[in-house]
Amino acid sequence: MLRDLLAEEGLDDVEIDRDTTFHDDLELESIDLVTLAGSLREHYGEKVNVALFVADLELDEIIALTVGQLVDYVTQSLRSAP
Amino acid sequence: MSKIRTGEITTHVQRLPATTAPALGGEPQVVVFVHGLLTDSLASYYFTLGPAFAAAGHDVVMYDLRGHGRSDRPRTGYRLEAFVDDLAALLDGLEITGRVHLVGNSFGGTIAAGFAAWYPDRVATITMIESEPPVALWNEHMEAGLADAKTHLVLEESIDWIAANHGAHTARLSRNAGRILRTTTLAEDVPLSRTIDDDLSALTCPLLAVFGDESGLSAQAPDLEKRVAGCRTVILPEQGHSVLVEQPAVTRDLILEWVAEHTPAGALR
Repeated sequence: MLRDLLAEEGLDDVEIDRDTTFHDDLELESIDLVTLAGSLREHYGEKVNVALFVADLELDEIIALTVGQLVDYVTQSLRSAP
Repeated sequence: MSKIRTGEITTHVQRLPATTAPALGGEPQVVVFVHGLLTDSLASYYFTLGPAFAAAGHDVVMYDLRGHGRSDRPRTGYRLEAFVDDLAALLDGLEITGRVHLVGNSFGGTIAAGFAAWYPDRVATITMIESEPPVALWNEHMEAGLADAKTHLVLEESIDWIAANHGAHTARLSRNAGRILRTTTLAEDVPLSRTIDDDLSALTCPLLAVFGDESGLSAQAPDLEKRVAGCRTVILPEQGHSVLVEQPAVTRDLILEWVAEHTPAGALR
């Protein structure tokens, strides 16, 4: 999913690990995160609500958000879902 | 990603349906969020107010303005009335026919006021966060501000200075703003926008205006209260122009309370 988004930006060969940040390392803008949130919701359903997850973060924390943090959030949401 | 045809362009829209029943009963209220100029997109609401309004029982509509975010960026056509007509076309496209609550940040608040003036039957309330209504003086302010932005934001050395003094994030937003200014007639078009009379008689719906006391825009508060029936102004202390980003929780609570007060209990919208 993230690869698809990056391919659109012409960044299909960039290395990604848990510490990769969306903003500084991948140079994604907040609007790209909206697109990713939409893709995750479509794929996993309503229980994965990235908008709600990110709304609880401060601006600095959103800017510093890493791939690992988002993966953890998605994993937790899926695990806690009935 | 949801895109919808609005006149000659396509508009990127994100909806968050109400996740609970409205606290006061009745149909959920539709709340439409309108973002600001150049450095802004619907993400500013998606990651701040949007989810909280859906959780409070409202149907949330967020969209990218023409030229911004993932909406189309035509080269010309950036007078206020074009932005207002896009909003009308968006509501038509989404089949929203009842009155909506409009929340606008900065330039988005000016769009909200223009929409309220020119489509009064489609509006329940408007909230303007650090905004001016589209009067003649606003055009003058925009002409000066946009000419200045167009001179500086297209220069690489300005972006470097911004990076050094305000950080990489702001520099990137500025570079993107420069790109919009360079590739469109926005800076020339906005100051030629259609206006409303200075007496604000065109604004007939309840208006909530939120300001930061350090931005300079709060000086309008007494005139707004005097000229618009059902106007409430709130001035946040020690706060500049970035009210929405720096005080999202305060802003959220003010607007949630405002919308609740203006929701007819048990009535259809």
